[in-house]
Parts: sequence; structure tokens; C-alpha cells
Amino acid sequence: MCQSCHVRTVSTYRTAAQVDQRGSGKGQPVLTTHAPQAGQGVTLPTTLDEAVAALTAMPAAVPVAGGTDFMTAVNSGQLRPAALVGLGRISEIRGWQYQDGHALLGAGLTHARMGRPDFAALIPALAAAARAAGPPHIRNAGTLGGNIASAAPTGDALPVLAALEATLIIAGPGGARREIPVSHLLAGVEMLRAGELIGYVRVPLLHAPQVFLKATGRTGPGRAVASVALVLDPARRQVRCAVGAIAPMPLRPLDAEHWVAQLIDWDKGRVIVPEAVNAFGEYVAAACIPDPAPAEDGTVQQLPPAVLHLRRTVAALARRALGRALS
Amino acid sequence: MSNEAATAAAPETAAAPEPPPHGLGSSLPAADARAKTEGTFPYAADLWAEGLLWAAVLRSPHPYARILSIDTSHAREMPGVRAVITHEDVPGRPVYGRGKADRPVFASEVVRYHGEPIAAVAADHPDTARMAAAAIVVEYEVLEPVTDPEKAFEAEPLHPDGNLIRHIPLRHGDPEAVGEVIAEGLYRIGRQDPAPIGAEAGLAVPRPDGGVELYVGSTDPHTDRDTLAACYGLEPERVKIVVTGVPGATADREDQGFQLPLGLLALRTGCPVKLAATREESFLGHAHRHPTLLRYRHHADAEGRLVKVEAQILLDAGAYADTSSDALAAAVAFACGPYVVPNAFIEGWAVRTNNPPSGHVRGEGAMQVCAAYEAQMDKLAKKLGLDPAELRMRNVMATGDVLPTGQTVTCPAPVAELLQAVREHPLPPLPKDIPQEEWLLPGGPEGAGEPGAVRRGVGYGLGMVHMLGAEGADEVSTATVRVQNGVATVLCAAVETGQGFSTLARQIVQETLGIEEVHVAPVDTDQPPAGAGCRGRHTWVSGGAVERAAKMVRTQLLQPLAHKFGMSTELLQITNGKITSYDGVLSTTVTEAMDGKELWATAQCRPHPTEPLDEAGQGDAFVGLAFCAIRAVVDVDIEMGTVRVVELAVAQDVGRVLNPAQLAARIEAGVTQGVGIALTENLRTPRGLVRHPDLTGYALPTALDVPDIQIVKLVEERDVVAPFGAKAVSAVPVVATPAAIASAVRAATGRPVNRLPIRPQAAVVTNP
Repeated sequence: MCQSCHVRTVSTYRTAAQVDQRGSGKGQPVLTTHAPQAGQGVTLPTTLDEAVAALTAMPAAVPVAGGTDFMTAVNSGQLRPAALVGLGRISEIRGWQYQDGHALLGAGLTHARMGRPDFAALIPALAAAARAAGPPHIRNAGTLGGNIASAAPTGDALPVLAALEATLIIAGPGGARREIPVSHLLAGVEMLRAGELIGYVRVPLLHAPQVFLKATGRTGPGRAVASVALVLDPARRQVRCAVGAIAPMPLRPLDAEHWVAQLIDWDKGRVIVPEAVNAFGEYVAAACIPDPAPAEDGTVQQLPPAVLHLRRTVAALARRALGRALS
Repeated sequence: MSNEAATAAAPETAAAPEPPPHGLGSSLPAADARAKTEGTFPYAADLWAEGLLWAAVLRSPHPYARILSIDTSHAREMPGVRAVITHEDVPGRPVYGRGKADRPVFASEVVRYHGEPIAAVAADHPDTARMAAAAIVVEYEVLEPVTDPEKAFEAEPLHPDGNLIRHIPLRHGDPEAVGEVIAEGLYRIGRQDPAPIGAEAGLAVPRPDGGVELYVGSTDPHTDRDTLAACYGLEPERVKIVVTGVPGATADREDQGFQLPLGLLALRTGCPVKLAATREESFLGHAHRHPTLLRYRHHADAEGRLVKVEAQILLDAGAYADTSSDALAAAVAFACGPYVVPNAFIEGWAVRTNNPPSGHVRGEGAMQVCAAYEAQMDKLAKKLGLDPAELRMRNVMATGDVLPTGQTVTCPAPVAELLQAVREHPLPPLPKDIPQEEWLLPGGPEGAGEPGAVRRGVGYGLGMVHMLGAEGADEVSTATVRVQNGVATVLCAAVETGQGFSTLARQIVQETLGIEEVHVAPVDTDQPPAGAGCRGRHTWVSGGAVERAAKMVRTQLLQPLAHKFGMSTELLQITNGKITSYDGVLSTTVTEAMDGKELWATAQCRPHPTEPLDEAGQGDAFVGLAFCAIRAVVDVDIEMGTVRVVELAVAQDVGRVLNPAQLAARIEAGVTQGVGIALTENLRTPRGLVRHPDLTGYALPTALDVPDIQIVKLVEERDVVAPFGAKAVSAVPVVATPAAIASAVRAATGRPVNRLPIRPQAAVVTNP
């Protein structure tokens, strides 16, 4: 028999007073279902360099911004971080600034902030992706940098950044800054080193239509089944397109981009024949979801119906995205 | 109409404040509504006791495997671990089950589904308990799972009881009858999870007499108590279940496989033990809706009148029987729907597989067949060149018609009136007729919807369910009403699951006794049983018991007065706490008449008995039936296959409206669950393994997915055998909604749509 259960009244509520009493009265740790060990080493730096210093000083610490992916893993017991470095108080990365034709977006920008009209006037596709990125409470917490760092295949900002050919400004120990293309990080060509943090995302300001379209399983917020980001770059006479959620990282159908860019009459109001828009959709879809290689005996393999449907979805998204960008 | 009337009456009501809602027919709000909205209502997960331990359950990672050994020594040695229990520690009956005791408390030799409990741990911290559970070493010999119910017939028996749980070969009428038009179809219904918004949680407290008390969100406390007592080897009196708040119950709320280890650990350690399931455990543990495979052949004459229906219905029961037998009976009996079918030949089977367990989820059996027979009606209409609603209208059932089970429908069956009501309801405007800012295209507000690719469709679904337990189940409920100092208290073991029973009980007592202040006591198993909170049971049986008890109290109260004034009690009436006689001679207050006394009365309600279906599927198996007609209007993006339900018009046979606000809420909730079945909800289990057991992977309808729900007509034709004449309202919209949505998608796309939930590729038109 245990000695501590003489009292058998069941209080309907675990009030703060009860918990305190129990904690202090017996000198035992307070019982809670939510990882108390994370509370031990939380640092809340106010500048990027402080954050980097904190991470360098304690290599086991995990940086956390919105925590929308991270905290679910902690609360379900899958992650037990030794310490946390909270990035929420670093005001320098929560806004954006302009730099020779580019916008320097702070990694701490929330989806809610990016979804607002002033930001949408600047980088429309990123704003559309931010608005589509989940229910309001997730958008209020989740950040641009977090979306890149967790690099989930369904991350909505990722195809937009890939299409914009954004670069990341990484803050390292001792005030060091280096720049890497976002695609390099997502593809694992270059990795974040110990103590490094994503500080800013450098995005070109293109002053032309941009579209982000996403297919989900329901009308309400949901993870992307497939998404397409398409941006026009009139200065370089380019169309850049990235397809998200169908592969571990966004895919760029470069051939389709070059092909369709030639067909656009850039000087006379950016017009294109409707057939080319349709063909562009098919081209993008076939590039991202290729037909399977013929079998050894030469028989043509069929894609499974679900994959064919995904290909059809990508084609429709790409066609609609180009149509809207040029309309 | 009613809206206009309300607006017209508004200025008057503003001048004279309305009296508070009172009695039957008023929209009395739930007593706990405020606490639930503000988050102060105590659910089982909020409970706490001094010195409590935390439990964790080790579940099988395999759908089918032989257990070679279980080594708990590492777990036992972990600091903070107080007890580790396995099948060897079950003192009483080692198996349990609702219909048939075929399910082990803890798996001993074989695990038969992904998530089957194998052992449980109690420790002083929830993380310790989980880590200890993970430290139990189980050696498995992994076996090839049977996941296709069609293969279960020939597969090696998965269980000593065999793979066939029940077979009903229903034969009704002339097998040789042939129609001029024949429609055939094969339909598949997915696995819906009831996904209660609060996951399972509970607290077990050992009692000094060697018994145990469980504080859980049970919806059927007495059955759970009896199961637990049998497995613990205790007398039922020494096990007590106290029902705490129930956070969502559209199915058998509590998986007993979760209550059993909880109480056992409390008995073992002598300490209070708490268990709070994670969402993943909740998905793995509790019963799901039966995935069903249906094959149909409908015969009709040239005018579209049904001649014969042949069907084969195969229910995937999962590894254990649970309530699959009841689900199969409903599926077979309602296989033709609310239509007159002179000849019916329905074969139904419920089989065992290694898929997640199936059990009671509201509208079980009836929902799956509804999706299929309504698809058949659409096919027939297409073949005959008739309007789908017109074809249905030519076949609808009415009171006096005979079900394929040979039972005559004696209750009101206003199916034609319901269908007429939804048919005549004006259609919602097309997107082109409303401002562009208000468009909500398939794919959502930030989605990829393009107006040019959107097609609109209109479809119908007519559903029916039975109320109360079927096939000879003894339905009984007992209620006590107590009145003292002008305050009435109702004691009844009917659990408030959100269906509104406690509000209804207050309304009944207000109506009968004229007392404003009525309390409903919390439920525990010291009270007499009232049955499970499902199939409209409590409105009917427990509501009836409360009414009888309240009437007995009324007689006790009025008898002395009536005697004194030489009139019968019927000539006296109680309003607002005052007793008056019909002629106004007598006028006194309830408090005076009580004279400080305390009045008690206890009554039972037991509806007329039913009989089991015989070997040809014939018999008067159902106490009552409820019907509903739904018209769905959907928009489909025919290139992407995304579907948005624009409007659902509901007409329902409710018997009598007892609480209009609560009734509307129940219908909306049922329709919403139906939208989930139709479009998104399907627990995927490739090779028997549950994938994505979380609310990201398992997509419930959100506010944006739920359409405009128009309750266009509530037919109030009182069912004479039911107390108050009221029918159950929650289940039947769940049954008809998916069928109506599928029918509308069919109309929009021209595709067959023979699988639920509707996959996007099934709603795509490749060559428009």
C-alpha cells in the first residue's frame, strides 16, 4: 500500500494552490503531463548575435521560434531538448527591410504578418502561401524561418522561395554572416553548422504578378497535396515555377519554364496563346511526375491511379497559376 | 416563415421581456453550457487525487503476431515504476466484449490488431510510465495479417471463435421476380473514426473494501461496471463507476480496454491511478465505423417502381465481435431504405480481420447501406430517364408498409412529406449571381478553385434508422424525482453525452410539476441502470421514466388537496409554483402544499419487446424508426476533383419537438459528421497498420467544410408508443448526409461515385 493516498477525495480540479502545496510541502517535483525538463534551460536573447552566442555556449540547445512543429514533438514525448533558445524576442528578425532591389525578410516574420496586404503588395506569392498555411492560431505563431528550418515537404512557403530563388543569410558565431541559396539548404547541399541560425531571407522584388496555388484535401485549412508557386521576372524575361509537397523538396521544372518564357510576348502586355498555357501545365506535371521507365522487356508501365491524379492536379495548378499570372 | 414572424414580433418582445424558457417545447439552455464554453467544466482529464500514479499502456505494433515472450523485468526495475501488469495479472475473467466476450483484457498469445493492449504500467510520472511501457520487451513472431474482409472467409481462423461473426441471409418475397430495368453496383465505405474531441481519460481510486471506483467519461456505466467486475473477479457492488463530463460521444465513448488496466493498476498499487490517452492511443484503441463492401442489384418496372432488391453486404468487424452483430442487423434490415420493396434478398456477413476494431458509431449499418441504395436509385433514375427525386417519390414508404424483415411500419413514416419538403426548398444562388468577394469555391478561400472548372450538382438522400436496441434487447431505465423546498432533483443513470438528456429531464419535470428549479444529479453505478447513451435511448426510455416519476410526485402532492376539495387531481394545475383549480376556487403555492415534506417517486420505463431476426432475417426487431430526407447542393472542381458542399437542406421526422434549439444543434452535428464521412474522414490502414493517427492526417470537417445547413421541415407526427411522441434525432442525419452528397457529386460530374469518402480522382471529369 502506498502511504501517500490517505485522502481519497477526488477534487474536480487541480488548482494552482493544490499543486503548489504538493510541490513545496513535500519537496517533490510538481507532476505535469507536459515536459517540465524543457523549462530548465530557456534562454531568451534579444539580438541575433546573442542567440548565436547562446547556441554556441550550449550546443545541445534547440532554437525555437513559433514552435508549431517543435512543441508538438516535445509534448508528445518524442523530443526531449536539453535546453531551448527562444527566438521570439529578437525584434530585428521580425520585420523586413529593403536592400538594392531585394527585400530582406526577417526569419521571425510570422505567417499572419506575411499574409497582410502591405506584405502582399511586395511579394504576393509569399503572402498567398502564408495565408494558406494553416488555421489562424498556427499562422500567428509559425514563422518563415521555422518553415525553412523544419523543411517539411508540405511547407507552404518553400515552393515560393524556390521560385523566387531566395537566398538565406545565415548568422554564425562571432557576428559572421554567410549567404546560401534556399535550394541548397533544402536539398542538403549545404547545411547549417553548429551555432548557426537563419537570420534573414533575401528575396528579389520583381514588381510583376506572382501566384501561389495549393490543392488540399478539404475546404478548411489542410496540408498541401500539391502546390505550385509561379513568378514572372519581366526584367530577365523569365517565368519561374516551383512545385511543392509532391517531393521532399520543391521541384523546379526548368525546361518548362524556359519553353514558356519564349512564348510570352513580354513587350505587348505579356500575352500568350491559351494552348501554350495548357501545354505548360502538362509539361510541368510530366517533368515533376515522369512516366515510369519502360520495363526490361519494353512494355510501357502505367502510373498508379492515385499518382496519375496527382499529376493531373499539378497540371491544373500550373496551368491556372500561369493563366492568373498573365491575366 | 418563422423567421419573418420572429422579426415582426421583435419590437414587442423588446418592450416586455420574455419569460424564461420553461417546460417541453422551449429552448431551455443546458445547465452546464456556460462552464463548458468557458472551459471550467471538469472532464475526466482534469481529475486529480492525492498521491496519484500515472498509467501507460503498451500496445501492439503489429496487426497480427504471435507473442513468444513478454519480459517486464526492465520496466519493473525502473525507478518510479510501481506496477507492471500483463495477462497473468487479470484476477477474473480474462476476456470481455459487448456482444460476445471474445476480446482479451491483455493479449497473451496472439495480438490481432495494431494497438491491442499487451501490458500496462503505473508510475509516479506520466513520462516514467510511458518509458517503462516502452521498456517492456515483447518477442513477436509476425504473422501475415488478414486485412481484406473478402479473404476472411477462407483465411485461417484469427480467433478460436472463427472468422464469421454473423451471417444473415434475409429472404423476403418471390426470388423469381424480375424487373424491366436492372441496376447493379459495387460500393465501398471507408473507416470513420468517432474522433471524440476529448481523448479518453480517467482516474481509478481504490476503495477500503478492496473494491475500486473509476471516474471516467463512460456512456454506459452499468455495462462497463459489470465488465470490469467480472474481469477483476469482484462482485459488481465493489466496482463503482462515477461518470464525469463526457467530452464528445458519437460512438461508444469509452473503450473498455482502457478502463480495465486503469482499475486493475489501482487495485494492484492501492493508489489512485490516472490514465490520459494521447490522440494516437485514442485512434488505435476505440471502435470505428465498420468499413463495408456492398454489392447491389435493383429491379424496377418501366414506371420506376421497385420490384426486387438483391444485395450482399460485408462488414469488416476488425479483430473482435463488439457490436458488429447489431450493425449487421441494421444494415440488412435497412438495405432497401425507406422504399417499398416487395421482394428482397439480402445476404449480410460480419467478418473478423486484423484491421482496427469496429463497433458502435451512430447510424452504424444504416449509414453504409444508405450510401449504396441511394446510389442505386440514382442509377435507376438515369436508366429510366427520370428525375432522381421523382423516382424516389414513386417508391417511398409510408405507415403500414412492410420492411424486408417482415415487420410492419406502425410508427409515423412521413417519407413522402420529407422528400417533398427538401425538393421544394429554393436552390441556393449560383456563384455567378452573388458578388465575387463572397465566392467560396472548392479548394477553400486560399485554394486553387477556378470558376470555369466548377460544376454544380444537386442530389438526394433518404435515410432511416431504428431507435433503441433491436432484436429483443431489454430496454429499461429507472428514474427518481425528489422534491423538497420547491426544488426538484432528478436521479437517473442516463449519461449526458451532449445529446441533451439533462436539459430534457429538467424540462420534463418543469412541465409536469410546474417547478422552475430542477437539478439533475451526477451519474454513478449506485443508481439503477438506464442503458447506454445511444440510439435515442435516453429521450425515449429515460425521458419516459422521468416523466412517470414526476407524475407520481405530482399525484402525491395534489392528492391531499384534491381530496380536501372533493375534486380529482386532474382538475388542479401547477404553474409558476402555484397550484390552482380549474374553477379558481383553490389557489395555493407548491411550497405551502408541500408543508415541509419531502416527496420522492421512482419509476421505470420499458418499451414494448422486440424479437430477434430469424434464420431468414424475418422478425419484428425494432421498437421504432426515424426518417430523414436531405438535399445536397455541391460545387465540384472537375479538373482537380475537389468538392465543396454548398448547402444541405434537411427535412426530418422528429415526432415532437421538445427543445427546438437543442434539436437544431443535434441535426447540425449529425449532418457535419455525415459531411466528414462523405468527403474526408477515412482512417487509412495499409496492411492493417493505422497510418496518421492524428488530427492532421485524419481530416475532420472544419467550419469551412460544413455548408449552410437549412432545416426546412420538422415533421411532428407523434409516435404514439414513444413518451411525448418524440423520436431520436441525432443518428438519422448522419445516415442520409453522405448519400446525398455522393448523389450530388454524381449529378455534377456524371461519374459513378461508388466509394466513400469521395476521393478527388472519383470526382474528376477527364473529357468534359
